[in-house]
Amino acid sequence: MLWLCICLTLLPLEALQPRTVTKPTVATRRKGNAQWIVCCNSSATQAGLRPGMNLATALAAVPGVQALESSDSAQHAALTRLAAWAYQFSSSVIITPAASSSDDPQPALWLEIGASLRLFGGLQPLLERFEAALEPLDYSHRLGIAPTLEGALALARAGIRRATTSAAALRSRLAQLPLQCLQLPAAASQQLLTVGVETAGELLQLPPADLARRFGPELCDYLDRLTGRRPDPRPVYQLPPRYQARFEFDSPVMNVDGIAFVLRRLLHEFVGFLRARDTGTQSFTLTLQHRDKPHTDVCVRMSAPQRNFEQFLLLTREHLERTQPRAGIVAIELSADRFATPSAMNNDLLAGTAEHRETFNHTLERLAARLGEQCVHGLRALADHRPEASWGPEHERRSMATPSFPSRPPWLLPAPEPLPTATLPALISAPERIAAGWWDSADVQRDYFLARTHSGALWWIFQDRRDGSWHLHGLWS
Amino acid sequence: MNRGTADEVLQQLAQVCRGLDRRRQHVPSGLTALDAALPGGGWPSASIVELLPACHGIGELRLLLPALAHITRSERHVALIAPPYIPFAPALLQHGLKLTQLWVIAATSATDALWSAEQLLRCKSFGMVVAWPTQVHDRAVRRLQLAAEAGDSTGFIYRPPSAARDASPAAIRLQLQAHEGALRIKVLKCRGGRSGALITTPIGTGSLQSSDAAVTSPASSIPAAIAGCAE
Repeated sequence: MLWLCICLTLLPLEALQPRTVTKPTVATRRKGNAQWIVCCNSSATQAGLRPGMNLATALAAVPGVQALESSDSAQHAALTRLAAWAYQFSSSVIITPAASSSDDPQPALWLEIGASLRLFGGLQPLLERFEAALEPLDYSHRLGIAPTLEGALALARAGIRRATTSAAALRSRLAQLPLQCLQLPAAASQQLLTVGVETAGELLQLPPADLARRFGPELCDYLDRLTGRRPDPRPVYQLPPRYQARFEFDSPVMNVDGIAFVLRRLLHEFVGFLRARDTGTQSFTLTLQHRDKPHTDVCVRMSAPQRNFEQFLLLTREHLERTQPRAGIVAIELSADRFATPSAMNNDLLAGTAEHRETFNHTLERLAARLGEQCVHGLRALADHRPEASWGPEHERRSMATPSFPSRPPWLLPAPEPLPTATLPALISAPERIAAGWWDSADVQRDYFLARTHSGALWWIFQDRRDGSWHLHGLWS
Repeated sequence: MNRGTADEVLQQLAQVCRGLDRRRQHVPSGLTALDAALPGGGWPSASIVELLPACHGIGELRLLLPALAHITRSERHVALIAPPYIPFAPALLQHGLKLTQLWVIAATSATDALWSAEQLLRCKSFGMVVAWPTQVHDRAVRRLQLAAEAGDSTGFIYRPPSAARDASPAAIRLQLQAHEGALRIKVLKCRGGRSGALITTPIGTGSLQSSDAAVTSPASSIPAAIAGCAE
């Protein structure tokens, strides 16, 4: 087993806001009246704020600091989304369980990469691919690689990226680490420091029996799992049959621009999920949730199954530009439950004009996303004598029978337009009688003529045989 | 430089312009007289063509139908963007269009129409894009020109007759008028070719008849060609 650990150093903050925020910001946790900092962004760190600091102290020291109360559900949601995304690199993905109220475990994600090394052509190519894919998700992170879960996490926290592949090498690497890199209860860590134990190496040399008596059996258990003396079974993440990802805002977002970073992250993770399942999708739904109002649903549809981040983002943007959210957005949910079989996608890619076909589909999807689906359509001719019933918009492309008609004008008016009898243009053809439709109560009794206006235009006009009125119905454009 | 050499230079320049134009594909318009007036013998690809009809119903769309039919039969697509009326499927079939290759884009605003035209021109699957935007500015035409070059497609834009007064970056500009039962096509501008030609063809109800068409050439040919190139 070789575990790659992604230690998400600022997840309590970054589960709520983008990494790019430059204002000093801290995530806090509350217990009773006490509220303390759990993590700081870089500008808050530069201002001298540290995790563990009381919020009141921090506010006094840096008056402009923004404090967000960390949300366990937001962190767990972020980790779950990441797990689905990471599944493309490994089929064994483990995440930190949802935080218990007592202490804050370091949020992290582990991937078993020992089995994937051959597939990706070695450790270095795997890491390069992995980091390139992780980058757009916009999470501060550190990587660690070790044969045990806790070992990989400790190395990641210490910032040691070099892969440690054997238990012996892990022990010697761990020996150098300061105690802060280990996942020890705060009280135990403090006590150990006071008795002069400063590194993991010193801690590991202490007799286990004494440690157990002093700090309880949990500490020894942790150290055994850290070094690999004891197995560390944990539930492996399972890909859900239906994709559902959720992002909650700490305060309602009023405009669509404010959700841009979330959108990028959600779509990147979704594409990762599709890749992990080796499938594509033809539609997904973005649900904007509001506090007191019903949700706004944005359904993004595509003409062919795909998993292209750029295209997903483009289509979603077009849709959102047309959507006016009803109220402040408190959460966004991305869901999809219909995935296309990969074989269909591969076939499409093998076709000679695949590239053309793809841009063709993408272009039409983009138009439909911006203008509305009903605004992009084909045409078909129908076998009906009534002009208005002899055509129809066509939303699915298929070859069709071609009914035959007498000569028809290229333009048809959406509805016949009444013509005053006094200004009737000159009739220049014999009438074509159209009497049809008695069977569906859209009965027509008309004599159609060709007429030339004084400006030289050719009109297709008819006289209604029931009341003698004249109408313009088409133009010989 | 004396007068004679200046003329020679201008002639060479005109030839260069025509030479550049040969790289484009040309789709015959179906009107022999018009094809003769257009360099390359038809509608050039990678270009924008402006059509300025005096009113609806004078054959302004039928002028394009043979070329559109040709495109749909060569498995490329054609889009009609923001048409002023319903493109009547039975009539389009009668003019030989393959409806499976035809798209109608119902864009309501001029911005949407021009945006759609740009997207579709850029897409190589579309051979011709016809648009009826309610408003067009110079800059928009230039953008469409770039898109047409990227997609190697032809964009037709219908504009009101008053637009004839303004200059335009379009490669070809045709003024369309009805005159004594005939459609009169005036070549206002033609890059790499002659402007000023006047073509008349009976309007009728079927295809525009090319056999009856007549062409009147402008008196001075070379300066007009250069004027077309220089723009």
